Amino acid sequence: MSTVLTNAAGLTDVGLKREDNEDSFFADSKLGLFVVADGMGGHLAGEVASRTAVDLVIKSFQSWTSRETREEELFAHPDLSLSKTGNYILSGIRLANKVIHEMAVAHKQYQGMGTTVAVLAVMPDLVVSANVGDSRIYMVRNGRIERLSKDHSIVAEQVEMGIMTNEEAEHSPLKHVLTRNLGSSENVDPEVYEIQPTNGDRFLLCTDGLTDLVPDAEIRQMVVAEDDPENLCRKFIDKALTRGGHDNTTIVSVYLSGFEKQPSRAAKKIGGFFVDMLSNTKQTEK
Amino acid sequence: MAKLILMFKDQVLKEFPFMKESITIGRKPDNDIQIDNLAVSGRHAKIDKTGSGFTLTDLQSTNGTFVNDKKIASQKLNDGDRVIVGKHTLLYVDAETDQAEENNIDQTMVLDTAKQRELLAKQRGGTGKETEKIGVLSPLGNSGMEDIKLTKKLTRMGKASNSEVRLSGLFMGATAAAISKRPSGYTITFTGGMTKLKVNGQVVKDSAQLKDHDKIELGSHRFQFHQRKADSF
Repeated sequence: MSTVLTNAAGLTDVGLKREDNEDSFFADSKLGLFVVADGMGGHLAGEVASRTAVDLVIKSFQSWTSRETREEELFAHPDLSLSKTGNYILSGIRLANKVIHEMAVAHKQYQGMGTTVAVLAVMPDLVVSANVGDSRIYMVRNGRIERLSKDHSIVAEQVEMGIMTNEEAEHSPLKHVLTRNLGSSENVDPEVYEIQPTNGDRFLLCTDGLTDLVPDAEIRQMVVAEDDPENLCRKFIDKALTRGGHDNTTIVSVYLSGFEKQPSRAAKKIGGFFVDMLSNTKQTEK
Repeated sequence: MAKLILMFKDQVLKEFPFMKESITIGRKPDNDIQIDNLAVSGRHAKIDKTGSGFTLTDLQSTNGTFVNDKKIASQKLNDGDRVIVGKHTLLYVDAETDQAEENNIDQTMVLDTAKQRELLAKQRGGTGKETEKIGVLSPLGNSGMEDIKLTKKLTRMGKASNSEVRLSGLFMGATAAAISKRPSGYTITFTGGMTKLKVNGQVVKDSAQLKDHDKIELGSHRFQFHQRKADSF
């Protein structure tokens, strides 16, 4: 069995051009759950959407985890390629979608509201990352950066299909048009990934306020250079503001450490055997 | 104005309003509608204005020209017809249907109507899932073990009872290695312990992305990794 220490921090900023902050976030190292959401919709509806998404994902996760709810009893059909924890997250996101969608349909002031969501769950033996929309989750492991999320935007999908280059995507007027979000339809298909955590892993959840202004290579550099997650968040916000702060910007950073691995029982046994053998040998040599 | 919408796998690429009496379609750059794909002949087909409508004619192309999946030599086009040239589709939109385009002067536009945006938004799942590939580990040697399908997003390999792939061995860790399916593909990670992980003979101390036919060694266990289409099982 291994244990893991999580050191995390989160920070959000309205930016220099917007009046309201429609981003929401949550970071709890003890629970091992981290969420970021970027809302959209007029008259503070965006804030309602993102706050609702974050609250529902957390509450459902807490509830199901504490009761060890069986996968068949979750809100959504379990995905057989995922672990139990993975399904808790998947169901939580689907539940949030349903609620936000219903709110948007039932209330005129919430019409058209929606939000992205990016979730990271950290357990001693498992890390689950899930997203809907273009808020991202990055992992920096052994100095290399990798995305644990997939952008649900028109341009990202065109790049994936080989119809557009990354360069064209950067300058496309459709850069921020999403193909999936929470709230616009009854059903949603989140992206979910599961990985085995290793010592020294560093994760980052962020909204596009950051990634519009800071490329992946620079993000990697900054994560590797900063050992304190709180300082890292501060640095990212400052950078976004220096570069214009055109949008709300939210960062949550999670650093893993302190992996304690028990030596394998076999090794202990063999080690013990040799110790015995050596002490016996010593005696017979007398 | 009538128009043709060029699509590839349900993705809208360009629009071509009918500005001339005759339009040519083919791979060569001097065509009105150039489709740069090997399945398309240099001069593949043409569309002529005939009376109030348009007629499509195949120019003896190598792979043929199809309308709504039927191979044609020459045929009058109806609203909504799907003209297939090589692997591309040209959707024919009649003048009456196409009201929004009246004011348009541009020769080609991309994604300017809500309908097209919808089309793109709808391409979710349709193109992704069919070609989805599942990783498979084939045991090498006389292990007597069967092929292991990597259907889970995370596959743990080791001695622990909760491992998706249980492996024995004196020095095998509870979880010796893990294979995860990520946006970038399948990746194998060495998770610690005394048993070494090797991919194609090289020791892997952290992670390695897996490619088709890669050979994986974990202690005395050897596997070959490949990817197969989901619907081939």
